Amino acid sequence: MATHSETDVLVIGAGAGGAAMSKRLSDGGVKVTCLEQGDWLHPMNHPHMYDGWELERLRTWSWHPNVRMFPEDYPTTGNAAPMMMNGVGGSTLHYAGAWPRFKPVDFRKGTEHGLEGTIDWPISYEDLEPFYAINDAEIGVARRVGDPGNPPRPEGWGPASRGGKVGRKMGRGFDELGWHWWPADNAILTREKNNRMACNDCGFCLGGCPRHAIASTDVSYWPKALANGVDLRVNARVETITTANGRATGAVYIDRTTGARSEVRAKIVVLAANSIGTPRLLLLSAQKGYPDGLANSNGLVGTHLMFHSWSFEDYWFDEPLEGFKGPEPAVLYSQEFYDTDPSRGFVNGFSLQVGTALGAANSALGTNTGKIAPWGAGHREFFNKHFAHHALVYVQGEDLPVRTNRVTIDPAVVDSSGLPVPHVHYDLHENDRRLITWGQERAREAAEAAGPVIDMATTGIGGVGGPPPGWHIMGTCRMGNTPEDSVTNKWNQTWDVPNLFITDASSLTTGAAVNPTSTLQAVSVRAAEYIKRRFADITSQTKTPSNADAPDF
Amino acid sequence: MIDVTIRSGSKPPLGGWLPPAALSAPQADVLNAIADELIPGGEGFPPPSGVNVVGFIVRYVAPSGQEAKWYPFLTEAEFARRLDELGSAFVSASSAERVQVLIGLERDDAEFFGRLRDMVYYAYYSRPEVVAAINRNLEAGRDYRNSPQPYGYTDVMDDWDDDLLSRVKGTYTRTEDVVRLPLPENLRP
Repeated sequence: MATHSETDVLVIGAGAGGAAMSKRLSDGGVKVTCLEQGDWLHPMNHPHMYDGWELERLRTWSWHPNVRMFPEDYPTTGNAAPMMMNGVGGSTLHYAGAWPRFKPVDFRKGTEHGLEGTIDWPISYEDLEPFYAINDAEIGVARRVGDPGNPPRPEGWGPASRGGKVGRKMGRGFDELGWHWWPADNAILTREKNNRMACNDCGFCLGGCPRHAIASTDVSYWPKALANGVDLRVNARVETITTANGRATGAVYIDRTTGARSEVRAKIVVLAANSIGTPRLLLLSAQKGYPDGLANSNGLVGTHLMFHSWSFEDYWFDEPLEGFKGPEPAVLYSQEFYDTDPSRGFVNGFSLQVGTALGAANSALGTNTGKIAPWGAGHREFFNKHFAHHALVYVQGEDLPVRTNRVTIDPAVVDSSGLPVPHVHYDLHENDRRLITWGQERAREAAEAAGPVIDMATTGIGGVGGPPPGWHIMGTCRMGNTPEDSVTNKWNQTWDVPNLFITDASSLTTGAAVNPTSTLQAVSVRAAEYIKRRFADITSQTKTPSNADAPDF
Repeated sequence: MIDVTIRSGSKPPLGGWLPPAALSAPQADVLNAIADELIPGGEGFPPPSGVNVVGFIVRYVAPSGQEAKWYPFLTEAEFARRLDELGSAFVSASSAERVQVLIGLERDDAEFFGRLRDMVYYAYYSRPEVVAAINRNLEAGRDYRNSPQPYGYTDVMDDWDDDLLSRVKGTYTRTEDVVRLPLPENLRP
């Protein structure tokens, strides 16, 4: 191609995984180019100071690209509504920053039960822990140490976000039952850091953060990566990953503002376009030698999609809880029922994560569960009893990795550049349905122990509208143990193409029962450190080594 | 002269369209009458017609020349036509008669009614006069502000109960302790 440039490492995607990768590599002097199909987000593009801030969740700040229909978005087809953002920061622009870690048992679910497509991770919690710590320091985690339900974690940059009346109320409920609970870790500053302001408890985390308190990567990793000299190209939509002689050679991208095509040639390519964008791009990169898509000789690209299994439980109490204050989705959590107990009739477990509500309009319009205030004569009484008397309990279950839950290509629909879009199919496994049903009962116990509950409502199993909400998209290019059970080895190298790495949530082998971003970023930091240290080995490999044969750090 | 018009673009305008959709005075009267039945004033709360819910709603209705691609999926022409259909007869009707009309609309055209109701709710609870009423009348809402930023709520936020936290118990399974568990009977192959 006439227009081309060269770099050491090409990173595709400027979100959670791509930003962590770009910054860590460039810290070590590696020349990095990053391609991002979206653009920078200005603080005034957040809705927090507009009178229609609650309504904007249905328009500019919808989590689903099919609703927003921004030009940088690509639509999806199928039966799910995944949460995705495109821009510098990726979906971290829209996430709430809940920051739990996976537990040690989460890396050994193949050993524990091996149901459906469940396999062990090729690494352990202990392997990943140092990189959790590095990543926590980068983003400025808010944390209260001492949780007896998890391995020790280092002090946070700041203290845990305050829990408000909701935290006190639900804490009392769990305490009454003698169940585990703890204030949530959040990727939200409770102390200023690097020109990012501390959180002021405004209560609207899922609209992003104009104060830059939430660690979206545009404000956490990218300023440092750019200072290191990373060549970040925005509005650059990758069309195909190129190869020659069994190795990746770079990528061709379309400048969305001009339509012009350019090529970046690289010694190593890192794909971090999220669990839907990454398999989409691999499948769209079918070429000579890779007729079924890149890194897909075993047919596993796009498979084993996980969303977590969900039910949202709204409870209203007889006292003011002021849920319009404080971090929205993660005030505290209980992991009393995290581990598998076969006597319950299902494997895996769940977290009970306590969240809050938004404002007055959201309260009138049904909070999280469609419990809408009646119009007419009964409106005032309903509103006055429900507004700011509420706590939300998310039943967040670990869903099984099922091969038929997958991302494929839908050739009938294209994005604004004419590229076919991903088709997303997800059905909740019977095991996960049972898990959530049982978890709903535990959530109700906790609320009633906190009580008195004056009203309640639920989304039902699977979240709003049937399939899980798709907030957490994971597992479609998982790391594993052999070329037969996974897409990459334990260093995130694709089995088919040794210098092609995957470092986003698609690489997560299983999904645990907690929010995944801290784990996917730790995995990305670990892979970056490996690439940095083993650059010469990787660039000379003609075959991806097995986990046993791969050179260590 | 600076042109502040938000042009037809490929993104929904944050905060709604400027200039907004145009309603005639009779159409605005109908909308106010509907809103006053959906959320009756009283008990210290103003009626919607007294707090300019119309001014909020018309920013979110797609003005002439724009597609209704985004919520509430209503064009100016369609919205105006709907209001004209109700017309002055609705405005001059008694409250009981208006309620009957709205019950009929809810039954016969649930989608449009739902959007209308939701827009009135969003508009009403965004108005500064209503936020002030919440502050005055509801203990749970005494600190509630017009928008999340710029002030937030740090100045009025409760902290954790340290006594409760000192009692928390928990455990986790160490890596070396993970063992094969029997599958539940109903999940065995």
